Amino acid sequence: MAMPRSLWNGTIAFGLVRVPVKLHSATESKRIAFKERHAADGAAIEHRRVCVKEGKEVPYEEIVKGFEVSSGSYVVLDKQELAIADGPNARVVEVEHFVAEEQIDPIFYERAYYLSPGKLGEAPYRVLHAALLQTGKVGIGRFVFHNKEHLVAVRALPDTIAMQTMRFADEIVPESKVELPRARKQASKLELDTAQLLIDQLDAEFEPDKYEDAYREQLLALIERKAAGEAIEPPSREPLTPEADLLDVLKQSVERQGSRKRRAGGHGEGARAKRGEGGRGEDARAKRGEGDRATKKAKPSSSSGRKGGVR
Amino acid sequence: MARPLWSGSLGFGLVNVPVALFGAVRDLDVRFSQLHGRDGSPIETRRVCSADGKQVPWDQIAKGYELADGRWVLLSEEELTAAAPHKSQTIDVECFVREEQIDPVYYDRPYVLSPRDEAAARAYALLREAMERSGRVALGRFVMHAKEHMVAIRPRGETLMLTTVRFAEEVRSRDEIAEAVAAAPEPSAEQVQGAAAIIAELEVAFDPRRYKDEHRARLQRIVKRKAKGQKIQAPKPSKQPQAPVVAAPDLMGALKESLERIRGESGGVGPAKKKPVRRKAPAKGASAESETRGSTKTRK
Repeated sequence: MAMPRSLWNGTIAFGLVRVPVKLHSATESKRIAFKERHAADGAAIEHRRVCVKEGKEVPYEEIVKGFEVSSGSYVVLDKQELAIADGPNARVVEVEHFVAEEQIDPIFYERAYYLSPGKLGEAPYRVLHAALLQTGKVGIGRFVFHNKEHLVAVRALPDTIAMQTMRFADEIVPESKVELPRARKQASKLELDTAQLLIDQLDAEFEPDKYEDAYREQLLALIERKAAGEAIEPPSREPLTPEADLLDVLKQSVERQGSRKRRAGGHGEGARAKRGEGGRGEDARAKRGEGDRATKKAKPSSSSGRKGGVR
Repeated sequence: MARPLWSGSLGFGLVNVPVALFGAVRDLDVRFSQLHGRDGSPIETRRVCSADGKQVPWDQIAKGYELADGRWVLLSEEELTAAAPHKSQTIDVECFVREEQIDPVYYDRPYVLSPRDEAAARAYALLREAMERSGRVALGRFVMHAKEHMVAIRPRGETLMLTTVRFAEEVRSRDEIAEAVAAAPEPSAEQVQGAAAIIAELEVAFDPRRYKDEHRARLQRIVKRKAKGQKIQAPKPSKQPQAPVVAAPDLMGALKESLERIRGESGGVGPAKKKPVRRKAPAKGASAESETRGSTKTRK
């Protein structure tokens, strides 16, 4: 059985028990990758490392890492010195505590990994997995990876152990640093009740399979249009006017959602989610008489001289 | 406040709230610059056209996509928004779910949503309060930086937080790993109870402020010492012997000894020194349970 490639080999330690493990990425980006090209002639863009003093390109072996202690003054650290910062236990994730998963605010979660048993790790892996499942707890430890330390949550999925890197508390922008424009008038009870009614109408289960990235297809379609020589007009901004009568708009929303649910026989949720660029937004755009369809009508007329085109 | 990463509107029913998006994470890493080792002067990364060898200013760089036939399609940032104009300008709330249904694997990056101005603040505050009352998280989607994102929006104090959520197809299969795990021998009930007892001993309430980035602190100390001209040497190996890797036959022994050490606070185990909150009562319960369950297994 071909195992996915591992990113790291190390040990999960709890108490005196050491579990040799391998780390595998649990996620992958499906983003359409673009490359930098020169707009004028379409040629590839190269990144060159140039010494500011000599103005010449510098080969990679001659580059060192420097920390700027004061303007223009650097402390250079070599590889060994950087490795010292990794600490004595860089290959071990020592579980310091166990916590209840629901106590962890999702804001801390960073990247998800799966753990597989490493050499001689099968037995302790299964013991840890079974104990995590039985207690419903999550192990908290720290993990040094690529010269950076992460807090991690070691937790049981039904059939494997997952490890989630987390941010340190001081890496989260504190609420006090967020400047929020304040409303002069509080929401009325009726407004709140109506908003809550709308939330209740839109109540659903989280079923990740229901949501598809519809945009990737739209982006590929746009690329094809451009390749066929069509001029792409950037869309005009949708007008942003805050509702004058909030209560009225909320009531209309509730009414519409109610009739939509009746029409769809209670299965409105899934259908709407699948359609991607549809649902509420489509109706709103139709009302304003603009949106995606409007751009599609753009005639392949004279090129507007913006950068781009097929090379 | 800083420049928003994105601005547009938050659509909830027929209500549109003009909002701006800001990062909720700050970078506290010790950042290094690239220097030329020979003369210590800074390195600049220049973008150069491969055809004419000249430096290209940022506004002359287009996004290129290679077609199957080898031709390149070039698009500007503004043209990209034409792929989905509505989604590039609006976060449409599609439904509301319970937060605990979202597995942490799906969470990507957190942001702060802010009302664009005072006029938008009323609808924003209304939505925030209604969501807090309902205890639900809003699920929506929008397009930012040429990528569609699923998002979970939830209240945090007076603000609404937005976290991008991965699509199911971006979460990898773990079938091969699960198969390898299942192929290993099943642990005995006694072993599992022993591990569960350790978990119970080390259980605390999650307090994120308890954990400081030790790597960052070490790196800062090294930089400081080096700036003073001191030599940096690796610390001598710690006097405490490393716990040996426990292979399968000794697993039960290691579990038992761990428990004894943690309970006895003999100082041999790392976590015990950090003084986790002790919960004597449930721990005793857990160990009693482990004995009974263990003996049930033996009787079988």
